[in-house]
Amino acid sequence: MTVLLTLHQLSVALQQKPILSDVNLVLEAGDILGLVGPSGCGKTTLLNTIAGFVEQHKGSISIAPNMCIDAENIIAPEQRNIGMIFQDYALFPHLTVQKNIAFGLKDVNKLEQETRIETLLSLLKLTDLSERYPHQLSGGQQQRVAIARALAPQPKLLLLDEPFSNIDARLRNELMLELRSLLKQLNITAIFVTHNKDEVFSFADQIAVMHQGHVLQYGTPFDVFHQPCNWQVADFLQIGSWLPVIEVHEEYLTAIGSISLENKTIIKEDYSQQYLLLKPQHITLEPDAQANVLIEYVRITEHGFHYLVSSLTQDKSLSFNQLSFYSHLTFSQGEKIAIGIASHDYQLFNK
Amino acid sequence: MSWILALVLMAPVLVMLISGIDSSQELFTHLWQTVLPTYISNTLLLSLLVVTFSLLFGVPAAAIISQTNVIGKKYLRWLLMLPLAMPAYLVAYLYTDLLDYAGPVQRFLRTSFGWESPLDYWFFDVRTLFGASIMIALVLFPYVYMLVRTAFECQDQHLIRASRSLGFSLSQSFIRVSLPLARPAIAVSASLVLMETLADFATVQYFAVNTLTTAIYDTWLEYGDLSTANAIASILMLFILFAVVAEQRARAGQRHQSNRLNNQIEAKRLTLFQQIIAVSFCWFLVVAGFLLPLLLLIVMAIDYATFEQLNELITSGLNSLQVAFYTASIATIIAILLALFKRLHFSTWRHYPIQISGFGYAIPGTVLAMAMLATLGPIDHWLNDLAKLFELKSPGLILSGSIFAIIFALVVRFAAIANGTIISGVDQIPASLDLAPASLGVKLKQSLLKVHLPLLKSSILVAWLLVFVEAMKELPAVLLLRPFNFETLSTQIYQLISDERLEQGALGALLIVLFGLLPIVYLNKKESNV
Amino acid sequence: MLKTSLLSKVLLVCFLVPSFLVQAEEVNVYSYRQPFLVEPLFNVFTKETGVKVNVVFAKKGMAERLAREGEHSPSDILLTTDISRLVELHDQDLLQVVQSEILEQSVPEKFQSNDNTWYALTMRVRNIYSSKRLGNIDISYEDLADPKYKGRVCTRSGKHAYNVALVASMIAEHGEEKTLTWLEKFKKNLARKPQGSDRGQVQAIHQNLCDLSLGNSYYFGNMLHDEKQKVWADAVNINFPNQSNRGAHVNISGVAMAKHAPNQKNALALMEFLVSEKAQHMYAETNMEYPVREGVAVSELVNSWGKFNADELSLETIAKNRKAAIMLLDKAQFDL
Repeated sequence: MTVLLTLHQLSVALQQKPILSDVNLVLEAGDILGLVGPSGCGKTTLLNTIAGFVEQHKGSISIAPNMCIDAENIIAPEQRNIGMIFQDYALFPHLTVQKNIAFGLKDVNKLEQETRIETLLSLLKLTDLSERYPHQLSGGQQQRVAIARALAPQPKLLLLDEPFSNIDARLRNELMLELRSLLKQLNITAIFVTHNKDEVFSFADQIAVMHQGHVLQYGTPFDVFHQPCNWQVADFLQIGSWLPVIEVHEEYLTAIGSISLENKTIIKEDYSQQYLLLKPQHITLEPDAQANVLIEYVRITEHGFHYLVSSLTQDKSLSFNQLSFYSHLTFSQGEKIAIGIASHDYQLFNK
Repeated sequence: MSWILALVLMAPVLVMLISGIDSSQELFTHLWQTVLPTYISNTLLLSLLVVTFSLLFGVPAAAIISQTNVIGKKYLRWLLMLPLAMPAYLVAYLYTDLLDYAGPVQRFLRTSFGWESPLDYWFFDVRTLFGASIMIALVLFPYVYMLVRTAFECQDQHLIRASRSLGFSLSQSFIRVSLPLARPAIAVSASLVLMETLADFATVQYFAVNTLTTAIYDTWLEYGDLSTANAIASILMLFILFAVVAEQRARAGQRHQSNRLNNQIEAKRLTLFQQIIAVSFCWFLVVAGFLLPLLLLIVMAIDYATFEQLNELITSGLNSLQVAFYTASIATIIAILLALFKRLHFSTWRHYPIQISGFGYAIPGTVLAMAMLATLGPIDHWLNDLAKLFELKSPGLILSGSIFAIIFALVVRFAAIANGTIISGVDQIPASLDLAPASLGVKLKQSLLKVHLPLLKSSILVAWLLVFVEAMKELPAVLLLRPFNFETLSTQIYQLISDERLEQGALGALLIVLFGLLPIVYLNKKESNV
Repeated sequence: MLKTSLLSKVLLVCFLVPSFLVQAEEVNVYSYRQPFLVEPLFNVFTKETGVKVNVVFAKKGMAERLAREGEHSPSDILLTTDISRLVELHDQDLLQVVQSEILEQSVPEKFQSNDNTWYALTMRVRNIYSSKRLGNIDISYEDLADPKYKGRVCTRSGKHAYNVALVASMIAEHGEEKTLTWLEKFKKNLARKPQGSDRGQVQAIHQNLCDLSLGNSYYFGNMLHDEKQKVWADAVNINFPNQSNRGAHVNISGVAMAKHAPNQKNALALMEFLVSEKAQHMYAETNMEYPVREGVAVSELVNSWGKFNADELSLETIAKNRKAAIMLLDKAQFDL
């Protein structure tokens, strides 16, 4: 597998405020990378920097085979051969679908142009709509046109800014699968930005979790999910709930039981309180024990009932209030029950 | 109710059209065989040239200011609007004075090169149709500049980025995306310029260019045939109507706006050479369209101003203010009523009152004045007859003989400006605000007063200011309709210009210009606060 | 809402109407003549009689306005700058008969209508100004078409009342066909398209753009007294054309009373004032015009221009030919 894109110590500041700090990334050809993170983490800026709409003041962007962009050698966006799909699609209102798609094909001969347009129209199921204007299309159709338009010049890299945020939830899955298969079929490398962590599993090969201008973790979605490297990653991905723990001799005390010192991974940072990352599947029901949590909230899902519970302990340093677990058993709101922690590879974080 | 208003505003036009049916075949034929074709070709040529020059001046200026990092952008932005404050006939006179055979420029050339007579050298003649069109374009291009610049600045910048991501540079993207998308703004401003040109009468007269307006005047006043004059005026109207409708249809099928809030425009960085060109171009427009004429006026005023003039100016100045004030206020109120009507009623016919009422803009002031007399005269007679019936003292010509006629004429003429401004203001009020007050139990009238009007505050002010300035500058209608002892600044200036004695009126001319600057300055302050 | 706008309109009208409710003695004048020419006269009149003079000045359109206003027209007195306008007013039945001994005695027969409707106040000659470069010449209007002056003649718009009257007199003398030819040749001699005012033409001669121009007599005097325009006037000679045949074309400025004049007494007083010695003297001295009242001397400056023969053609005939004159001007496309 060849590497297509390398970001090395990329730093960007806008109006004297640092937005991206020391971003390092390697993306292989044909892979799809998902940039996730909370609002303001810099993911859209990173996208725009790669595209060339924002200038870095430090660091370099290398695109195979031989394009290198750094502070001394700034290459204009139009010369980077990087396609972009905007969140609002940005279709040219004064041009038909056909003309929109053909827009970037100026360097291609007539015959080739026609072939490409026809192929894309059929791939994206737009053949009947080729003479319409953007305002005459539905949201989903507009997105398809945006995709076709970006793909027509056969860019090396495709950037997508929140491509599914405007799509109806029900259509979203279908669209993601279609788009992914299309990108794979055409062997296109892509980076997309989303604030919705669920999309990365269907859509991305690699995921980079960002926070305040830094890339916190980079890897496959599964790897990152299983082994979050710090609490922000875990928190953003909503991998589990946070259970405060206090170290006492050989054990860690929690409000719902204690856990042993073995089988754990501790991520230490400079914060005072330690927490256990507790996934719902590691919570056990202890019908015989004394109640230690209160049911605050109930809703029904495919996995059974989803409960959010708060601790009953008086100890402030151990209390919590949004522990999530699922069960087929019925409890009502306000009920007090007892739960415990099943043995597993604990992950402890400081936060 | 707003139908009544709209029809009232349309009445003079209707009267004019109806009267034209009665025209003389014989006279028409005579005119057609002699001078009418030249008048028509002059009119067409003048319109074409003025629109072309205005676009040539205004569109690049709009592009430079909105898309580049030209030096002095902050100032040039509003400086480029200043020529609007100059009445065209003033600029015409000043430049003729400057560039004429006896003017300082040619005199200087002659002394420098030792030429003696016109046969010794060639110097372009300002007083031609070409010269007239440049003069008029110099003071009208700000319409194009303003509208097109706004269009550029409201465009979704993602479109530019999309274009760049597809391989086009910033400049190329501008040409392939921004420019086509600005087409409605270009078309609207071009039609505004066209209408102003056709309405002009003093400038073309000064330049000895005979257009259809000449024909109308002559037919009415020399041949004494009002009907035929009205018939010719109707032809002029049709021409304008045709141009406007054709333009609207041409862009009917396309949508040009994005509905997003605009992002920051990435300013193209100009090379030194490009900077020089851009800066020179913009400053040329500012100097030629405003600063130079202003300078000439000031020099004249210094040389010739006397205290007596100042005295006279007070009266005519107050008259000008009075006319402009009433016109602006009434036009604005009517525009508000019509716009809100359009907004809050749901019949398919709701667009028409306001569209109809705006038609007056296309009518030259002369023609409108004639129509005004034809409309108000009979009403006055009727009123007097009524008075006689009730044995009351005859009120005389309270409508056609007072400044009511002038104000009515000017309101009809400038309704379009007020309408356009208020409508775009109303369009910005979210539809939900129409219904929200009702859901809170507030009556329509109150919600209009308490909700809509405050939101329209700035549009109202802009509309008022624009009409105020236009009314200040207006000439032909006032000339024909004024009552006793009534001089305005514009009529005074015009009188003096016709006698080659503008120097005596330089102070008054300066006043007109100063008043014209008011809305421009205000508009800019408002903009920079946004 | 209807109520508020109607109310404001009513208020507006009330606001604007007051000008007509003033009770003082006054007389209303519609004037084609320019303010600075007649205002001094009016000021003297007001001082002497206490009657206020209200004036509307216009370059065109007074007759039409009067006709529209009909019996409610507030105008009392009409001042025109040429004969055609007077006759037009007369022919449209907008004037009333004025019986006045003073007027009868002050104004010679040939300077009034034969039905006592209009009276001339001053006479003006349509001169040909010639560049001093040409020296002293004896010139006629017909000479303006002479090819030797090709490209050296300037004039204001052919359709201006003063020129129309001249053409009308040419028609009376030569008939329509010959006059058309004259116009066409005249047009060929023009240095530039007809434009500007009579004074502007003198300026053009001064600038060496042309050698001949048409202009009314009094402008010459006015120019000599204007600091900026004096130098123009110094560059030309004033000529009285056609002295060897019919005489120079003359026109008149005149006065008439409107048919429905509301202030008849004051109007008559004003008319009589304007033909009085004092007023006629002012016309002569201040305006450099030829007064119609016999016995009133012209100003010294005007006197220095010499005596001349005037075309005896009746003013009425000139007025009658006006429409034909306009049509010929159009046919010749003189202004284009």
